[in-house]
Amino acid sequence: MMHASTVEALQHARVPPYGLLVASLAILVVILMGASLAIGYAPLDLVQAFRDVLKGEKTLAALVLTELRLPRALLGCFVGLSLGISGAAMQGLMRNPLAEPGIIGVSGAAAFGAVTVFYFGLAGALSFALPLGGIAGAAAATFLLYGLSGRGAGTMTLILAGVAINSFAGALTSLALNLSPNPYAVTEIVFWLLGSLADRSLPYVWLVLPLMIIGWGLLLVSGPALDGLTLGEETAKSLGFDLGRLRLQLIAGTALAVGSAVAVTGTIAFVGLVVPHLLRPLVAHRPGRLLLVSGLGGAALTLAADIGVRLLPIRPELKLGVVTAIIGAPFLFGLIYRLREEEA
Amino acid sequence: MRCPRLILTAVALLSAVAHLGATDTPGKPKRIVSLNMCVDELVLRLAEPENIASVTWLSRDPKNSNVADLGAGVPVNHGLAEEIIPLNPDLVIAGIYTARTAVAMLKRVGIPVLEVGIPKSLDDVRRQFREIAGLIGERERGESVVADMDRRLAALPRPPSSDRPRAIVLNPNGATVGEGTLVDEIMTRAGLTNVAAELGIDSYGQIPLEAVVATAIDVLIVSASRDGPPALATEILRHPVLSALSDRTRVVVMPGRLWNCGGPAVVEAIERLMQVAREVRAEAPAK
Amino acid sequence: MEIEAQGIAIRFGPVALLEGVDLAMRGGEMVGLIGPNGSGKTTLLRVLANLRAPEAGRVHYAGRTAAEIGTRELSRQIAYLAQGGAVHWPMRVETLVALGRLPHRRPFQGHDAADRHAIERAMTAADVAYLRTRTMGQVSGGERMRVLLARALAVDAPVLLADEPIAALDPLHQLQVMELLRTIASEGRGVIVVLHDLALATRFCDRLILLARGGILVEGAPARVLTDAHVAQAYGVEVVRGEREGVPFLLPWKPSTTSEGEVP
Repeated sequence: MMHASTVEALQHARVPPYGLLVASLAILVVILMGASLAIGYAPLDLVQAFRDVLKGEKTLAALVLTELRLPRALLGCFVGLSLGISGAAMQGLMRNPLAEPGIIGVSGAAAFGAVTVFYFGLAGALSFALPLGGIAGAAAATFLLYGLSGRGAGTMTLILAGVAINSFAGALTSLALNLSPNPYAVTEIVFWLLGSLADRSLPYVWLVLPLMIIGWGLLLVSGPALDGLTLGEETAKSLGFDLGRLRLQLIAGTALAVGSAVAVTGTIAFVGLVVPHLLRPLVAHRPGRLLLVSGLGGAALTLAADIGVRLLPIRPELKLGVVTAIIGAPFLFGLIYRLREEEA
Repeated sequence: MRCPRLILTAVALLSAVAHLGATDTPGKPKRIVSLNMCVDELVLRLAEPENIASVTWLSRDPKNSNVADLGAGVPVNHGLAEEIIPLNPDLVIAGIYTARTAVAMLKRVGIPVLEVGIPKSLDDVRRQFREIAGLIGERERGESVVADMDRRLAALPRPPSSDRPRAIVLNPNGATVGEGTLVDEIMTRAGLTNVAAELGIDSYGQIPLEAVVATAIDVLIVSASRDGPPALATEILRHPVLSALSDRTRVVVMPGRLWNCGGPAVVEAIERLMQVAREVRAEAPAK
Repeated sequence: MEIEAQGIAIRFGPVALLEGVDLAMRGGEMVGLIGPNGSGKTTLLRVLANLRAPEAGRVHYAGRTAAEIGTRELSRQIAYLAQGGAVHWPMRVETLVALGRLPHRRPFQGHDAADRHAIERAMTAADVAYLRTRTMGQVSGGERMRVLLARALAVDAPVLLADEPIAALDPLHQLQVMELLRTIASEGRGVIVVLHDLALATRFCDRLILLARGGILVEGAPARVLTDAHVAQAYGVEVVRGEREGVPFLLPWKPSTTSEGEVP
C-alpha cells in the first residue's frame, strides 16, 4: 500500500495542458532561431540586415543573413524537428525507450545512401537525388530492423540490430568515400558520422523541406495508433487500428524525415533519444502526443547545440554530433542503468 | 620556417656522403627518386631523364602537373617505401610533410633522403632550383631555369602602387593564404592586395564564408578544384552566396598547379592575376 | 449485439486446433469459454474479436460480417481485453482508461463530454476512480486488472471479450472482477470470458462452452456442461461438489483414474 504522503505528491504532480506545452516549445524554437541568426563568424548588424532584406537591397549584411545564417537556422529547426519526431515515433512503434534513428542505425544507413549519390555525381549534387539517396538508405535500415527485431522489440535485440546496421553502414560509407574521385572525400567521413550545419545553402533547405513535411505528416497521423499500441498489438487492433498500415506509415515517415535530414547535414545522434525521454512525462506518457512535442524539443535542442558550437572558441568548428553526443551518451548510460534495474 | 636551414643541413650531409663514395663524376646521382608533386617538377625540369628513377604518379596528370609532358616516359611511384627501395636510389627527395612513413623507412635502410619545404617567396623558388640543381650535378640547367623565369618576370609591367584591387584566395574547406607565402607574393606582384592578411591570417588558415562575404573584396580567387568531382570541401567553393556576390566581386578560377608549387609556372599565375587586376581597375569608375 | 460463428476452423499449418465450431452469444448473457491448456480458447476468442481470420467458417455480428461492418465500426462494437495485460508506458490510470475512447475519436480530436462521461463511468464501475493519478507501476495486481477492465469498459461497446482476466489475481480480486463482469452482462451487454477456474465459471456464467480435443465438447448451462464425465473427458480430473446459499459449486479434487487418455 502507498503512503498517504506519496499519494498526495502524485496527485499534485501536474501535466501542463497540451496546447500550452506546444505553444511554449514553439516559442522557444523561434527564440533560438533568432539567436542562431544573431550568432556567426563575421560582425553583423542584424537589425540593419533585416531592414535591407525587407527593402530588397542586396547589401553584404543582407547576403550574410539570407544566404549563410538563415539556411543554418532553418536547417537546425527542420533537422531537429525530424530527429525529435522520428525518435518519438520509433520509440512508440517498438515500445522501447532506447529506439532512436541514430542508435538503431537508420541515420547511419541514410548517410551511406546520401554519400553514394553525392560523391559519385549521380544526377548532380543539388537535385532530389541527394535526399532520395538518404531516404532509400533510411528505409532499407528500418525495414531490416523491423525484420530482425520484430514487433515489441526486446532491448537487446534492438540495440544489437542497431550495432550491426551502424557498423555495416559505416564501413560502406567509408568505402564509398575512399573510392570517390575527389581526394578530399576520404577525410569527410567525420562530417557524415558527426553532422554539421555549417555552410549549407538555401537550395538545400528547399530541397529537403517538402520531403520532410510529408514525413512529419505521416508520423503525426500515426499518433492515435501509437497510443493504442501502449496496450500491445492485439488490443491496438481491437481498437480499430491497422497495424500493417501503421508500420508502413512509420517506416515511410521516418525514412522521409530522417533520410533527407541526414543527406544534408550528416548524422546527428542522440537528439531523437534525449528529447522524447525528457518530454514524455510532460505529455502524460502518451506516445501520440509526444510526437509533435518531441519534434519541437528536437528543433530546440539542435538549434541550441548549433549555437553552442559557434560560441565555443574551438576552431575549426566542432561537429554538431560532438555536442549532442556529450549530452546524449551519458544520458543513454543513465537510461540503460535504469532499465537494467527494472529488468533485474 | 626551417626550410632553408634544412636544405643546408641536408646538403652538408649529402656532400659528406658523396665524398665517402667518390666516383668519376663525384656527387652526380644517377637514380633520383621524387616523393612529392612539387619536387617532381624540380627534378623533371633539372635532371636528365636517364638519371630519374621515379617520380610520383601525380605528375602525369596535366590538370595537376606543369610537367606532364616531361614526365611521360618516367616510371611513377605512389610514395610507398616498398616501391622505392627496389629501385636502389642514390638520392630521394621528399616534401617535409608528405610520405612520412616512407621517408622514415628509407632513412632507416641508409638511403640518402633530402627533405624540401614549400617555398614561401620567389627568392625561395630561385634558391630551391639552385640547390637541387647543385645536388644533382646540373648547375647550369638550374641557372638557366631561374634566369628564364626572371626574364619573364622582368618583362611584366610594374603594377601601380595605389589602386590595388582587394583580393582573397578561397581553397577547398575554406582554406586561404595569408602573408609570408608564395601565393601572397604572387598576388602582390600582380597588383592585388591580399585581404587575408587584413583578417589576421598568417601563412595558411581557414576563413569562414561569412568573413569572405562581409569583407568588401574586388576579386575572389577560387581553386579550380571547384569544378572537379564533388566533395563537401569543394562544395563550399560553389556556395550560392559567392555567386550572389558576382555583381560586386569578380570570381577568378585559379588552377593549383600554377602556384601551389614553386616553379616557372608562377609567372603565368602572375600574368593571369595582372589581367584581372587591370580589368577591375578599368571597371572601377563605372561602379 | 449478437455474435454468431459457424463452422469455424483454426489451423496452424497442417495442425488443426479447432474444427467445425459453431457458437452464438446474445446480449445480456455471460458466456464462459473453458477448456484445458492448448484447447484453443484464446485463439477462438481472437477469431470472434476479428483479430484473427479463421481458416474456415465465418462470424456474423448482428447478422453482418466484419468486412461489411468495417474495422472502425467494429472496434466500437467489441471491446477486447487481452491476456496478460501488458502496458508499455508508465501512464497514469486515467490516461490509460481514456485509451478506451480511441475508437470514437478522430486524429487530433480531443475528448468531448461524452468521452469524459464514459471514462468516469468506466472507472467508477471498475472501482478504480481513486487510483486515477497513479501510474500503472504504482498499483497492485488486482487494481491493475481492474484498470485494464475499466479501459475496456470505456469503449462502451455492447460486447466485451475478455481473455483470462482473473489469472494471477488473489481470491478477493478474482471475485470482484467476476462480479463486475456479471453486472456488465446484466446491464444488457454480451460478455464472453475465457476462464481456467471451474469454480468461478460455474458460479458466475450463464452459459459455458467447453472446448476439448479440437472442437466443442459440450455447451449450455453450467450444470449440463460440467458433469463428472465431461470434466474427466476434458480435464482429466475428478471434482467434488457442494452447495452454498442455494448456489452449487465444484472443486477439482484429483487427477481422474478413468482409462480415457492421460492426465493433460
